[in-house]
Amino acid sequence: MSGPEGTCFEGGVFPAKIIFPTDYPLTPPKMKFTCEMFHPNIYSDGRVCISILHAPGDDPMGYESSAERWSPVQSVEKILLSVVSMLAEPNAESGANVDASKMWRDERELFNRRAKEIVKKSLGLDKTDTS
Amino acid sequence: MRGAALTTASFVLTAAVVGHAYYQKKQFYPSVVYITKSNPSMAVLYIQAFVFVILMGKLVKKVFFGQLRASEMEHLIERSWYAVTETCLAFTVFRDDFSPKFVAMFTLLLFLKCFHWLAEDRVDYMERSPVISVLFHLRVLTLLLFLGTLDSLWVNFAYHSTLTKGATVQLVFGFEYAILFTIICSVLLKYVLHTIDLQSENPWENKAVYMLYTDLIMGFIKVFLYTAFVAIMIKIHTFPLFAIRPMYLTMRSFKKAVNDIIMSRRAIRNMNTLYPDATPEELASMDNVCIICREDMNTACKKLPCNHIFHTSCLRSWFQRQQTCPTCRMDVLRASVRQIQQPPAQQPQQPQQPQANNMPQPGQAMPPFPGYPFGSHPFSREQDSPMLPLEVLLLHQGSRNLPLLEVTSNSPRHRLLKSHRQRHLLLSTSKSFNFSSRDYDRAIYNYHRCTAGCTRYSTKCNAWDAWNASHATIYDASSFSNDATIWFTQVTHLA
Ligand SMILES: [Zn+2]
Ligand SMILES: [Zn+2]
Repeated sequence: MSGPEGTCFEGGVFPAKIIFPTDYPLTPPKMKFTCEMFHPNIYSDGRVCISILHAPGDDPMGYESSAERWSPVQSVEKILLSVVSMLAEPNAESGANVDASKMWRDERELFNRRAKEIVKKSLGLDKTDTS
Repeated sequence: MRGAALTTASFVLTAAVVGHAYYQKKQFYPSVVYITKSNPSMAVLYIQAFVFVILMGKLVKKVFFGQLRASEMEHLIERSWYAVTETCLAFTVFRDDFSPKFVAMFTLLLFLKCFHWLAEDRVDYMERSPVISVLFHLRVLTLLLFLGTLDSLWVNFAYHSTLTKGATVQLVFGFEYAILFTIICSVLLKYVLHTIDLQSENPWENKAVYMLYTDLIMGFIKVFLYTAFVAIMIKIHTFPLFAIRPMYLTMRSFKKAVNDIIMSRRAIRNMNTLYPDATPEELASMDNVCIICREDMNTACKKLPCNHIFHTSCLRSWFQRQQTCPTCRMDVLRASVRQIQQPPAQQPQQPQQPQANNMPQPGQAMPPFPGYPFGSHPFSREQDSPMLPLEVLLLHQGSRNLPLLEVTSNSPRHRLLKSHRQRHLLLSTSKSFNFSSRDYDRAIYNYHRCTAGCTRYSTKCNAWDAWNASHATIYDASSFSNDATIWFTQVTHLA
């Protein structure tokens, strides 16, 4: 997945895994970035936390309405599209990564710099190579 | 590495303590007395015992689980923290009984609890794992047998001890092991259900029902145990603070299990009695693919009050999980109440109204649905304006006849994406396999079914493999002009 243009993740190429359960499409697949990510809605181990990947029954964040949740009508493209939108516009309220949420809210500059580092890492460029 | 160093250090210290004692006293019994009299020596021995427990844990883990998955590890650590805090709280209640033996028994309890949790996680994982080896079955069965035997022995021991010596701390142990025993029972039941499901070629429709009932019965037993325990504790001691959190969690999950069963039963009953079978004309007038299984619909289909049609069997499986329309998310339970209250003449239009103006013409590839994917997202919540759907249309374009997905949306969140340019998602491969979006989804689905041990889909699976082998990418058509690109890198099962 590549970072959306015009955002701090622009230019990055982020490998991810999508894991399908045996009763797909009745239960949602899981998505996990296999590279380092720093984003309010991505856990530090790479798991993506967006409402479209949550079954309506379980509500880890406690505020999402079931209208945004998983249903068999969703497809892989829609998931990917949602994830791209999520990269473009993090949702700091459902903080999977609390540090990142805080930084996104309060210190946007720092967050952008951190994101740029992630982008560089995803492209295999070391920090020392570019500076 | 650090663990190994600490282990070695503790062994060296123990050897030194024992060696020193023996050197001083020259005989076995005096050495033992010497060690037990000296506090530092005992401290070293306690640490050694603790190290032994951890080593033992590692050994058992290796034998029964092999490598732990990251999520299992995370789960384990989180639950251990709670268990340790609760144990400390329990110590305050039983401070009179406090002794090394007491601590040792609590450690053992905690130790066994960890393996119960791991067994639970492992069996849940069966559902998501395509290949289950013989070793897996062997490990799970022996582990369950082992843990179950230990639990029942402990319960038995605690029961007799309470009868003969009256209520002591053994009551707590007896109760804790009884709870663990119910965990083992429910894990075993789920294991049996998963195994039956894996053996059968087609997905087992009623599995979800049995799972719900398993949760219900086990939830009931646990709630009963907790209530009895708290009642007894209040009577003989004080209120057991340490039991509050697990008791609350148990009550909550029991309530959820009851609720789930009632709702799904009601939805399925509605489906069988209230909803009409889809007529052949209705099936012919639309893209007659069932959105759940992505197979064509010919017979045995039901029409929901919102006019969406699905296979009856698919719908049943879905209702066991959710009681909404898979396409438009209409709450079928609420809708059916409304339907009964409405005069029959108004029936056909009424439930459709909320999204009537967004409905596509029949024949368009994918129906839009309200709220997808961010319509009611906290960022894009517009209180007064109606929710605008994201429309996904399939267009065929270009000399290579590549199917193109055009995405248009008026949701504020997508305006951002649109502001760059219209988003074009193009599905293509570097070789000559061209798949439409539906084929693509179906391919993934069938690939999945295939690796899960279903032979029915093998031809489609070959197509998928070929497709997969050609390093398929979904990418943005306008990526050539520097627009956002999605590389769909891997579709993998969890290793
Ligand atoms: Zn179907
Ligand atoms: Zn519907």
